[in-house]
Amino acid sequence: MNCAECRENLVACVEGLLDREESLQCQAHLETCAACRAEHAAITRLQRQLVARGQTTAEVSLVEPVMRRVLQEQKKTERETIMSTILKHRWGFGLGTAAGAAAIILIALLTLPKTQATAAEAIAAMTKGAQAVAQLTSIHLRGQLRTAPQDNFSYINADCPFYTIELWKQFEPELKWRVEKPKRVVVMDGKSTVMLIKTDDTGVKFPQRTTSAFDTEWLHRIANLSNTISNELDNARAKGWKLSLTEETRADGKLKSVVTVLAKSGVPDNDYCKNTFMENADTRRVYRFDAQSKLLESVQIYLTRPSGEVQIFDLSQIDYNQPIDSGVWKLELPADVSWAQLPEQLSKLPDNEKYASMTAQQAARAFFEACGREDWNEAGKFMSPINDRLKEYLGGVKIINLGEPFTSKDYPGQFVPYEIKLQPQEFNVRVSNANAAKRCVVMGMYDNKLRLQQDFKWSTEPEVLTNNDAYARLTPTEVVQAYFDAQSKLDWVEMHKFTSESDVKETKNQVEAAEKQGMDVHKLMPVMEAGEATWSAEQSAWFVKCHAVQVKKWNIAVRKDNPAGRWQVDGGL
Amino acid sequence: MDLTDKEYVERCRDGHQEDFRVLVDRYQKPLFAYLAGRLRDGLQVEEAAQESFVRAFLSLKKLRKPESFYSWLLGIAGRVAKEQLRSMKHRQQDCEVTESIMANAADRREDYPLEEAIAALPESYRQVILLRYYEGHSCQEIATRLDLPLGTVTKTLSRAYALLRQELAARESAEPTVNQTELP
Repeated sequence: MNCAECRENLVACVEGLLDREESLQCQAHLETCAACRAEHAAITRLQRQLVARGQTTAEVSLVEPVMRRVLQEQKKTERETIMSTILKHRWGFGLGTAAGAAAIILIALLTLPKTQATAAEAIAAMTKGAQAVAQLTSIHLRGQLRTAPQDNFSYINADCPFYTIELWKQFEPELKWRVEKPKRVVVMDGKSTVMLIKTDDTGVKFPQRTTSAFDTEWLHRIANLSNTISNELDNARAKGWKLSLTEETRADGKLKSVVTVLAKSGVPDNDYCKNTFMENADTRRVYRFDAQSKLLESVQIYLTRPSGEVQIFDLSQIDYNQPIDSGVWKLELPADVSWAQLPEQLSKLPDNEKYASMTAQQAARAFFEACGREDWNEAGKFMSPINDRLKEYLGGVKIINLGEPFTSKDYPGQFVPYEIKLQPQEFNVRVSNANAAKRCVVMGMYDNKLRLQQDFKWSTEPEVLTNNDAYARLTPTEVVQAYFDAQSKLDWVEMHKFTSESDVKETKNQVEAAEKQGMDVHKLMPVMEAGEATWSAEQSAWFVKCHAVQVKKWNIAVRKDNPAGRWQVDGGL
Repeated sequence: MDLTDKEYVERCRDGHQEDFRVLVDRYQKPLFAYLAGRLRDGLQVEEAAQESFVRAFLSLKKLRKPESFYSWLLGIAGRVAKEQLRSMKHRQQDCEVTESIMANAADRREDYPLEEAIAALPESYRQVILLRYYEGHSCQEIATRLDLPLGTVTKTLSRAYALLRQELAARESAEPTVNQTELP
């Protein structure tokens, strides 16, 4: 083999593509020719570089996230979330959507404001906080958010009690994260991202790793102070947000740097979605750093409304670089989980045009009518998934009225006002007299299959009433019926004799909120009847079978920014 | 046989947006490697890579030479990376941001000309390099996939090596840049 032949074969040689004889000839030539050896070495070096590149990028998988963003950008979708306020008011305001006993313990701070510094100094304090955690391998945030437990991760409601929301995030050796509210959880285990809505056993899966997903970005941002700084600073520049720094000395003499950000969402005050999600809310955000360690120690977020400020978020537990149990990255899914189809994967129907040409109101009507006929195949063209819960809830529904659709600056679809009459719904109420007053009181709500919907936490024992004996003689069924009656009469004092203070408060809030929106509360209040009671030895309580007939008036959210261009129900049921 | 970059770009422009996924699939790994040479960590790189593809998609109509899609994409990625670094630097000037991040990024600047050199290859050569090293296919598998004799694949690979080495040698003395004539 001469030099020309050898060089022609060098790449094949380093790739191992030569047959034995050619390979031996090549090797023999290389042993005798320094120039070809140098050429061989150069090719081998380049091959190693190329192989190394392939190895470092073997796990890269950007297709789905890019395509999702591409579709979102194209349709000018503003929010990442795909499932919003699903079955948010399943039980109507009559039964309450949330147990109210999740009381928050706020840290009592003895503060002595000393200095007011500039925005640049505020950013400097945050930057030092970011530097203090530059070698972050993991972080765990545990906070309290005023929200509905099953609703979106960024959903806020000043009238709701506080619920725990947590983020676990591991940066090394590979990125993993989990965000959890009581009834909604999402886990990114390094391979895929799966969300579970526990009230419906609905799952949503992105088959790839994500840096954040659904509407958890606001929490990730707190975990990654560099992003927070970037976000707050960009907004300060673009939207004129005000940043300030104060110092405070605690009772124990420790100095804290407090950065306050006044965030304006830019969403008009009269917008339907205003102040419903972190991103569209006007807030005052308070980041508190330890002046010595520079570490971020707490975050408080206040909703700033014309009527005054309400605290909606309190983060007081931040664990830096603590080992995270591997169980955190595992999500136990129920056997009968219903998987929601991702909007971007929605394909066209054979008669797609029929659906694509509908108005939002026509789509809402077609959806409710399909549910009314229990034609789930048809209803499934408007919503995914159609699971048993939804069938129970909307099966047989009758439309009373549909209003003119309206829009929000913060939502890419439309809202259609509706008034519907639901089929009687069966549910169960757990009552117990294992208390000091020895009378039956309501302890929890269960669906018709005895799955817990709402646990009523009593912060104090039921009190002994002046005529306690009369109440103690009531049967479990009579107690539940009396509870319903007091509720429908809006008799809060009487209602409190049967249920926890937080339940009364929550119901009252819902009624007041409904009245503010001009609803006829008496007309909309479900008619509820208590039936047979069954003793559960396991739970040491009575379960009273009940049913409710309810008129529901709300706004259904529909959007058509998907590849099929069909309206999809996105929330507001 | 797969369509060329030019054909896919034209199909995307004609409303077949779903075809953009083929281009993402084709170039995600070299783009990632290119950005990894410029930025700090995997997370930043992934974000920058996504951002580059999205910007490319939104600007496809402005691409004058569809056959140069990859080279153009690298130009976009270069600007995205610069923006990220500048944004960090800007904050540093404002308020003493994270020197270590900048230092880290600077430390890793030596790697990325390889992707630029690959971008400069004619498409048939580039395709073989990407399939062989970024997709991990053997030459025999490439031959089957492209419906070519194994000998042709080997020759193409040899020629690609020669062109790559020429390109890298030419870049060695120059400041690393990519084709930035077509701004998105």
